[in-house]
Amino acid sequence: MERVSKSATQQVSRWVNVRVWFAVFVLALLASTCSAAEQLFTRVHPAMGTDFTLYIYAADTAAADREAERVFEIVDQLDALLSNYKPDSELSRINHQAAEHAVTTDPETFRFLQVSLAWSARSDGAFDITVGKLMKAWGFFRSTGHVPTDAELAQVRAETGWRRVMLDARTRTVRFTAPGVELDPGGIGKGFAVDAAVKALREDGVHAALLSAGSSTIYGLGAPPAVRGWKVKVPGAGDAGSVISTVVLRDTSLSTANCSEKHFVVHGHQYCHIMDPRTLKPVEGRVQATVIAPSATDSDALSNAMFVLDAAARKRLMRSLPQADAALVVLPDAVVERYRWPGQTIVK
Amino acid sequence: MNRRELLGGASAAWVAMGLDGVRGLAETPHADELRVGVIGPGSRGQELIRQLLHVPGVQIAAVCDIYEPRYAQVNRLVGSEVPHTKEYRELLGRKDLDAIYIATPLAHHAEHVLAALKTGRPVYGEKAMGFTPEQCAEIYKAASQPGALFQIGHQYRYAPWVRAAVEEIKKGKIGEPTHVYAYWHRNNNWRRQVPSPDPGGTLEHLINWRLYRETSGGLVTELGSHHIDIANWIFDAIPERATGMTSIVRYHDGRTVGDNVQAVFSYPGGRRLMFSSITDNAKMGNELWVYGTEGSVAITIEDATFYYEPKTHTKPVVTGAEVATRGIVTGASYSTKGEMPYRGPGEKLPVTVKEDPTLTACRAFIECVRAKRQPMANARVGYGSAIGAAIANSAVYAEEGIAVPPLPA
Repeated sequence: MERVSKSATQQVSRWVNVRVWFAVFVLALLASTCSAAEQLFTRVHPAMGTDFTLYIYAADTAAADREAERVFEIVDQLDALLSNYKPDSELSRINHQAAEHAVTTDPETFRFLQVSLAWSARSDGAFDITVGKLMKAWGFFRSTGHVPTDAELAQVRAETGWRRVMLDARTRTVRFTAPGVELDPGGIGKGFAVDAAVKALREDGVHAALLSAGSSTIYGLGAPPAVRGWKVKVPGAGDAGSVISTVVLRDTSLSTANCSEKHFVVHGHQYCHIMDPRTLKPVEGRVQATVIAPSATDSDALSNAMFVLDAAARKRLMRSLPQADAALVVLPDAVVERYRWPGQTIVK
Repeated sequence: MNRRELLGGASAAWVAMGLDGVRGLAETPHADELRVGVIGPGSRGQELIRQLLHVPGVQIAAVCDIYEPRYAQVNRLVGSEVPHTKEYRELLGRKDLDAIYIATPLAHHAEHVLAALKTGRPVYGEKAMGFTPEQCAEIYKAASQPGALFQIGHQYRYAPWVRAAVEEIKKGKIGEPTHVYAYWHRNNNWRRQVPSPDPGGTLEHLINWRLYRETSGGLVTELGSHHIDIANWIFDAIPERATGMTSIVRYHDGRTVGDNVQAVFSYPGGRRLMFSSITDNAKMGNELWVYGTEGSVAITIEDATFYYEPKTHTKPVVTGAEVATRGIVTGASYSTKGEMPYRGPGEKLPVTVKEDPTLTACRAFIECVRAKRQPMANARVGYGSAIGAAIANSAVYAEEGIAVPPLPA
């Protein structure tokens, strides 16, 4: 476990420099004057195709190590269960077998599927984990991009759709009602892992920590000493380093969906990795969608839904959700939509 | 029975039971719910529970652990309150259990497995089967009694790519296999976090039992027993002798087992298994190389890849007249080609992995329980690797060769 002192500044500046989508201002040096008992530590751990970063206030290195190892063991276990890249994961097993027969799964995987389908229903299919074949058709699975033919998309249409996944809570089984369906946890898995890890931190009595899943899903547990919470900056679409809004997370999560790092360009046209499962095409005309919600699972899924839905549907969805859920959607030409967004927005 | 016959029997059993392993990939209907009790739901025990939850018709009915925090962990995993006890005899005394899983620390395997077998129930025991040679023999005898059903936790016997690789080796794809070089190299301290405070180091010894000689077979047992088992399988034998060395090179943290080990096992006919485990460099990872007279195969925890020795044979010279009439050109003779290994990509076995091998092993065990069949990874398989590991663990401290006892009569 690395103690955050000068290196925290370097770490933060690296995040900003590489244009990841959030800069987490830990304020370690300021905070260190406020708490003599605890220090800020950090550790980075690769999982789920990205880097998970934990910042935690702990009494000593041993305590920080203990929590970090517990957190990343949980993340790794969920990665082993839910990865669609690992052939022996539980999700891969379901993908292989659920079209042939009902597959008995463990309670955790079953709960993941329940939550995923609930978000599909809530978002009218804008969020959908049955996009495995769709992602492959567009070359976003171990590939570098491909514009599918109409025939390919017709095949994908028969293999996509959350209504083709049937869950039976009594037997804890999952079944696909059509062959070829493939689950892809990309829009919700990291949030699910963050929630599980934060739950463990709470059980251990940790009162100040921040867990970031590749910066696209972030949870702020408690607050650093003498500040209101964990400050997160939402970058703008313009110049590198520009910030459109700054918010403070305290016992809540923030997730962002955008296409800045995962897309491909053909004949000058940019194709985004976030798909509209209803049209089977990459979403266009969005810059990013950022969501705050008490559950990281929810903010992860909701940020994707908000990125996919049109303006009227976005409004409807946000109206149907609890007051604690907030969203900030950035559209081209610096158009910004705010839904109960708690921070100021600065649009240049 | 000699060693070859011993493991030959296991191989024959494997061929016969192979279909069960394949069938295990599909969910077969079940008439009644099968209730399982788990003794030792620590990290490995919880992984077994997780996989059992993927098998239809199985209920985790009770758990036993002397470390209380495990109960809440199990409840969370199972999704409901699982009856628990600290006393394994109490768990075994329950009338509602159909099978017992045992995943306790190695030094307790004999006590728990023997007691569980005595109840007449089928038992799945984690590897290694026993800690000492005497315990290995005792468990083997008890598990081989008529009516007993025992499966050892060698899940790689059920991994499709390992099965396919061994089948190809046995068909002669790499000629005669003579050497197995196996590695499990890691870069971590092999230590589990212990809650604080821990007066007297009680929890340290309870949780980090792998680090202390009185409870642990060291790296050669805890990591190497899988490799010993696969070498036994390939050679159709168990080792005759074992030797090796161990030391602490990096983690001077109070542990009494080595943080690295190198062990050599000799098999009938002069064949060898070399096992190496280090804990401060993970470059090699977990690999097992089988060397034969005509090729090699690398078996990892994910796949198996074959490589072939260059063919050398004399062939007729079609344009011989040129050599005969014009002669050949003299020059430098040095060529590295003959000393360099084949550097091509190898031939990866086209095996589709559809599930975790531990799930396949658990499913196969449950099917054996339902059908009252003997499992493929039976007591003989368990004895073969456990006795090799137990002897090697003594040999690496003594730094001398020690004979491996054959299968008990």
